[in-house]
Amino acid sequence: MADPMHQFQIHKVVDLPTVNLPGLGVVDLSITNSVVSMGLAAGLICVFFALAARQAVVPGRLQSVGEMLYGLVDDLAGSIIGHEGKVFFPFVFTLFSFILAMNFLGMFLVFTATSQLAVTVTLAMLTILTVVVVGFARNGFGFFKLFVPSGVPAFLLILMVPIEIISFLVRPVTLALRLFGNMIGGHVVLKIFAGFIISLGLLATGGGIASLGILGSVVSLGSVVALTALEFIVAFLQAFVFAALTCVYLNDVVNLHSH
Amino acid sequence: MANETTQTHESTGADGNASGGGLPQFQFVWWPGQVVWLLLIFVVLYVLLSKLFLPRVGGTIQTRADKIAADVAQARDLKTQAEAESATALAELAKARTHAQRTASEAKAKANAEAATRQAAEEAVLAEKLAVAEDRIRVSRDAALGNVRTIASDIAAAITDKLTGVAATADEVETALTAAKA
Repeated sequence: MADPMHQFQIHKVVDLPTVNLPGLGVVDLSITNSVVSMGLAAGLICVFFALAARQAVVPGRLQSVGEMLYGLVDDLAGSIIGHEGKVFFPFVFTLFSFILAMNFLGMFLVFTATSQLAVTVTLAMLTILTVVVVGFARNGFGFFKLFVPSGVPAFLLILMVPIEIISFLVRPVTLALRLFGNMIGGHVVLKIFAGFIISLGLLATGGGIASLGILGSVVSLGSVVALTALEFIVAFLQAFVFAALTCVYLNDVVNLHSH
Repeated sequence: MANETTQTHESTGADGNASGGGLPQFQFVWWPGQVVWLLLIFVVLYVLLSKLFLPRVGGTIQTRADKIAADVAQARDLKTQAEAESATALAELAKARTHAQRTASEAKAKANAEAATRQAAEEAVLAEKLAVAEDRIRVSRDAALGNVRTIASDIAAAITDKLTGVAATADEVETALTAAKA
C-alpha cells in the first residue's frame, strides 16, 4: 500500500541559489512543489478575476460567481466588523480566495499547499500580526484593554486577564492547526481508503475465503467517492472559517472601545 | 519510504529528519523557502486584488445598483407623468363632451326654430291660397245660386204657363220665389 504521507513530501522542482535575507539568514529560495502549488493558486485567482471581473450590467455565469464570492466576503466583513469592514475587505478577501484556491487545487492536483504546516502557520501569523498592528495603530496602548474585560469585578481580573492573554496567544495556533489538520486529515483518509480499494482487491484475487475482500474494496470505493464530496465542502468551509475568524479578530481590535 | 527519506536526507543535508512515519510537514528545512514564497505570492495577490480586480467587481456591483435605482426612479417619474397626462386627457375629454353636447343642443334648437319658421311660412302661403280658393268657391256658389234663381223663375214661369196657359209676369214670379224662399 502506498504511503499516505508521501503526498505531503516536498521536493524541489527548480533549483535556485540560496539567498541571504536580512533578519532571516540564508534561505533556499528553490521552487518546490509547494511553491508551485501556491503560485498556481494565485495565478488561478488572477485568471479567474481577469475573466470574471467584466463590467456587464447583466452578468454572465463567471461574472456572477465572481460577484457572489465578492458579496460573500463583503457581507462577512460588513456584518462582523461593521462599517469599517470596507478597509479590511481586500485583506480578508485575499486570505479567503487564496486559501480556497489552494484547497481546491489540492482536490485536483497531487499536492495541497494548505496541508503544509509552514503555509498555515505563515497565514495565521500574518493574520495575527495584522490584528496586532491594526490594534496598536488604532488604539495605541489601549490595545491592552483587549485583555481586560469590562464589567468584571477587580478580584476576578486576576483570573480573567491571564485567561484572556492565553486565549489571544492561542488564536494563531488554532488558526494554523485547524486549517492544517482539516486538510491533512482529509487527504490522508482519502489516500488510505483509496489504498484499501487496491489492496483488498488484490487480496481477493487469491481466491477462497479471501474473495470476500472484493466487498471491502467496493465499500472503500464508495467511501472515497463520499469523502471526496465531503472534502470539497471542507475545502470551502475551512477557507470561509479562516476568513470569518480573521474578521472576528480584526473586529476585536477595531471596535475595542465598544467592548 | 526509507529510500525516500534517505534521498531527502542526502539532498537537503537536514539532520533530525523524521524517521519512518514522521510527517513530511515537520522537515523544517523546507520551511523558510515556503514562508518567503508564500509571503511574496500573498503580497502580489493582495496588491492585484485590492488595486485591480476587487475595485472592478465592486464598481460593477455599485454601477448595477445605481442603474437599477435610477431606472426605478425614472419609471416612477414616468408613471406620475403618465397619470397626470391621463388626468388632463380625461378632463379634456369631459370638456369636449360638454362642448359637443352644447353644440348639438344648439344645432337642434336652431334646426327646430328654422323648421318652425319654414312651417309657419308654408302655412301662411297655404292659408292664403285656401282663402283665395274659398273666395273663388264662394263667388262660384253665389253665381250658381244666382243661376238657380233664374232657372227657378224660368221654370216657374214655364210651369205657370203650361198649367194656366197664362204667362206670369216677371214680377209675380219674383214675388212668389221670394215668398217660397222665405
